[in-house]
Amino acid sequence: MAAPRPGWSRRAQYGLFFSFIAAIAGVAVGLILLAFSIAAPNQFKDLRGAALDATSPITAALYQVSATAEGLASGAGNYWDAASQNAQLRRERDLMREQLVTARAILQENRQLKAALQLRERTPGAVASGRLVGSSFQSPRRFAILSAGSSDGVRIGMPVRAARGLIGRTVDVGAFASRVLLISDRSSIVPARLLRTGQPVICQGRGDGSIELKPLEVGRNPFRPGDIVITSGTGGLYPPLVPIARVTRISGDNAIALPLADPGAVSFAIAERAYEPKAMAPLTDHAEELR
Amino acid sequence: MVRSALASKQRIGQGPKAGAAYVPAASVAIATLLSSLPIISANGWYPDFAFLMLIGWRLRRSDVWPSWWAAPLGLLNDLASGDPLGLSVTIWTVSMLALDLVDRRTIWRDYWIEWAFAALLILFYQAAQWQVAAWMGARVPFAFMLPSISISIAAFPVAAWLVGRVDHWRLGQK
Repeated sequence: MAAPRPGWSRRAQYGLFFSFIAAIAGVAVGLILLAFSIAAPNQFKDLRGAALDATSPITAALYQVSATAEGLASGAGNYWDAASQNAQLRRERDLMREQLVTARAILQENRQLKAALQLRERTPGAVASGRLVGSSFQSPRRFAILSAGSSDGVRIGMPVRAARGLIGRTVDVGAFASRVLLISDRSSIVPARLLRTGQPVICQGRGDGSIELKPLEVGRNPFRPGDIVITSGTGGLYPPLVPIARVTRISGDNAIALPLADPGAVSFAIAERAYEPKAMAPLTDHAEELR
Repeated sequence: MVRSALASKQRIGQGPKAGAAYVPAASVAIATLLSSLPIISANGWYPDFAFLMLIGWRLRRSDVWPSWWAAPLGLLNDLASGDPLGLSVTIWTVSMLALDLVDRRTIWRDYWIEWAFAALLILFYQAAQWQVAAWMGARVPFAFMLPSISISIAAFPVAAWLVGRVDHWRLGQK
């Protein structure tokens, strides 16, 4: 299994030599591309968007297959213990009804208070909804693919959420699909607060599907297992009051939490405008902003 | 004489398939496109199918493709999987050159040695991914990469087996 010996053939010798030179050139081109990708991540955004579009038909077509299979499996499971589930759901509904009344009262009070303060806030409108249809398999980064792109109005840097909670924000946008940086990615940092106490915290992904919570104030560890964190709206990108994660364990001064919206389980996700338009300005064209 | 004339005519039309020289590269490209399957991985522990196929082919045959073919295949992988552009281009081509060197230096080889080479290359690839992610603002402890590395190394024999089957099919061997 030694390297192929070209023998006396001059042509074969040259062929081997030029292949070697071409491989060295390939490494050089790769290094240059990599340097650009690291230094200026937006450099190749058109190319990356086009690649997303090229693979999106495969993903979308196969999604139906896997969704049907999953639906059959979980549907059968639900049927299995319908009676006990029914009773439990009824109990939960009664509890919810009480909480709903309280929440309505609070909402009304909140509205009055805001009117009194003349607080003006921009309601972030949903831009597009799509399915989460794929993700990075094997890499320290955590991305997912959303089946909505620039033709639906999605732009780079928009927050993405599902009904259950925050998913992440868009980083690459094609015409029909976009890539979402999940909140469990290490480079994703979300300003948040603890729902129970209102204490401000920072949510940073850990790269393995979980999230690290750090309190902003020094002192006693404020977290308890089971605590929920919600976005605070600080920074202006993510809208406030979106649930993010639930604390699973405490580690030192921080806590480890799991996202409430599991990207593998949510069916629909919504891309929204940045809560304050300025938060997106450095990422998008100015023409888009002025519109 | 008579016996050979009466023997089965199976060998007729049993040569290499049309385009057999391009089957290996095509199989790597297909493995790359597996990343567009609608599977959402929360922890990133799936093996990198395309890289396993690439080194599986190269360890099986030294003349499977000219080394530089790894660069365009790597570009395809970067585009399809969302890695920073240039990462797979560099690492895949360097891996091909490293295996060229290995071909020159090794006296004898068996499955275990090839598996060890594959393990080293997988470790190198994942360490590079980890380092690039760190440069791009996503520094995770290296321990988080260990499950993914071990799963990829454990999955290499499966990729090598698959490569063997495809190789037999493309060359029309039994």
